[in-house]
Amino acid sequence: MNFFSQEYFKKDWFGLLIVVLLSGVIISFFKPAFLSSFNLYVLMLSVSLWLVVAMSQMIIIAIGQMNLSVGAIGGLVAISFTGLMEVHGFSIPYAILTGLFIGLFCGFINGFLTVKTGISAFIITLATLYIFKGMNLGITEAQPFYQIPESIKNFGNAKIIGPVPYLIIIPIIITVMMWLLMNKTQSGRNMLAYGNSVQSSELMGISPTKVVITAHVISGFLAAIGGMLVVCRLQLGTPNIGDSWLLPSFAAPVIGGAVLAGGKVDVIATALGVIIVAIISQALVIFKIDPFFVQILLGFMILIAVFINRYREYKEERRKKIFIYEASHE
Amino acid sequence: MKLLGGYSPQLLFYILNDLMFKKLPNFAVTNQFGLFLLVILFVLFFSFFTDGFSSRFNLFALSRVVAIDIMIGLAMMVVILTGGLNLSLGALGVSAAMFGGWLMEVVGIPIIPAMLLTLAMGGFLGWINGYVTVKTGVHSFIVTLATMSIYFGMMTLFTEAEAFRKLPETFTDFGSLKLFNKYVSPLLLVSIFFVFLLFYLFKFTDLGRKLIAAGANPDAAELSGISVGQMFIYCHILSGLLAAVAALMLTSRIGAAIPSMAGNLGFDWLLPAFLAPVLGGTLLSGGKVTVFGTMLGAVLVTLITNGLYLIEVGEFWIRFFLGIILLLAVLLDKAREFFAQKSNVLS
Repeated sequence: MNFFSQEYFKKDWFGLLIVVLLSGVIISFFKPAFLSSFNLYVLMLSVSLWLVVAMSQMIIIAIGQMNLSVGAIGGLVAISFTGLMEVHGFSIPYAILTGLFIGLFCGFINGFLTVKTGISAFIITLATLYIFKGMNLGITEAQPFYQIPESIKNFGNAKIIGPVPYLIIIPIIITVMMWLLMNKTQSGRNMLAYGNSVQSSELMGISPTKVVITAHVISGFLAAIGGMLVVCRLQLGTPNIGDSWLLPSFAAPVIGGAVLAGGKVDVIATALGVIIVAIISQALVIFKIDPFFVQILLGFMILIAVFINRYREYKEERRKKIFIYEASHE
Repeated sequence: MKLLGGYSPQLLFYILNDLMFKKLPNFAVTNQFGLFLLVILFVLFFSFFTDGFSSRFNLFALSRVVAIDIMIGLAMMVVILTGGLNLSLGALGVSAAMFGGWLMEVVGIPIIPAMLLTLAMGGFLGWINGYVTVKTGVHSFIVTLATMSIYFGMMTLFTEAEAFRKLPETFTDFGSLKLFNKYVSPLLLVSIFFVFLLFYLFKFTDLGRKLIAAGANPDAAELSGISVGQMFIYCHILSGLLAAVAALMLTSRIGAAIPSMAGNLGFDWLLPAFLAPVLGGTLLSGGKVTVFGTMLGAVLVTLITNGLYLIEVGEFWIRFFLGIILLLAVLLDKAREFFAQKSNVLS
């Protein structure tokens, strides 16, 4: 057995882990400030938000659809969460519960409309994107809410140990739960089966209604958590929370090797994708490169990831063909 | 028999039969006709119930907005034809228009060549979308998501987010010119020209038919000798060209080339871009275009937006209503498809 033919070399996450480590080493070699406590703290803060957003999109990619309204749900929840506390005097737990419920409900609408009408999720979530965003702007009239309770501000600022923020606890729990869901539970496997082939999953007795609605509800739930995490971090509830989520939400899963046609996602690889995006964005700041470059780079990274995924699929297909050819000529 | 132009009596019988027993002529049952009625309905509604809808000023303003929405809708329509979509529409258009603004203001090229170069830029950016989509075989959604970010980032980087405000006066005057007793903007005439051009392309040219065939059934088209990949690239180039036209018209209307004229990442264009073709009856799965439907769809969207402003629902709720309209439009589309199938089965 050759060392390089070990099982984990073939996993999606292994290559990404090497990229993460290498880029960390290279950047800190040129700029030791990269490993400073403050920088790591900022890095972890951005990872913790994007992790939730990426998971929210990933579960929809798993069933072979896409959710454009992730950011709109996050924004709507963020302003409802802060608005309920500021204007209606809700206590924190009630505000959190209501926020989560709004996220669940928005997700349910997406899933219900998609599966019941058979219209592509793209167009449904484009419409709901504008509906949720319109509600957000209609309610707030584009004014932010500033009165955030101290305990929430403290939660957003506090550090557990060294540079590790409290804020990262929830995203880590979510990531673990998502891994368990996708790899160890029946409903997670059902989602992947549905994403892989709608027809064969139906023939296997998997209910499309259940799968699609579950996935969208989870997506809405995670988007809601994302929105509230941003409130904790920014210490205010502005209506434009979630506006810039679309690109990063797709970048991480795609870099993590997710197949957009559905049926294949990797939670660990997606998490590593988030870390790569965060490290690179951070590096650009440290090297004092124009922040607009982040956008360009993110675009290129998606394209490159798509190319690599495509190439690997192609190799895999070829390998199978050769295998079949050899087997038939034994 | 010669009078009948060589038609056999049997065929004549069929035609007569058709005319007599089909109660409505074909046009009346089409989507366009329904849309046309809706447009008239809304015009009547708004002119009775709002002040100033039918004022000269409002109609002129409306014609300027509708002209651009038509172009945006058409730009998306030609990509929907392939069964794909173009998220980078706004970013692409703005990038092209900023390039044009730079050519006119900084380089100082005369207007016509500068506009042609702008269109070439739009076509080139569209070509990149098409080339990458076809060569990787990845859905155009993800490709244009990436290029949207790249185009917009590059544009902001090159222009340093500064607008070009000193454009030649002939160019900006065109956008504020008033025709026909000061009711109509010449921009609308440009759009109508492009509507007819596209109609001609899809209806009467070889290329247009090939584009539709490639979108409708790629496998069958490939087997009948059409290079599907090439056709898809053409569609993306066309989309880029039309987006560049839309952005140039917007620049001429505003009187300056501004990086944020289509919102962040050009996202503000996305809703009209999808609304117009979907309302017009373009199938999202590809293979069917309705040029006039898209035009009517754009008119309807602009009318409703304008009317909502006039009945003072508050500008912040407008997006909400447009989202609802998009939802209703696709639901209606689905219902129509369902009933069409049903009536097919019955007959």
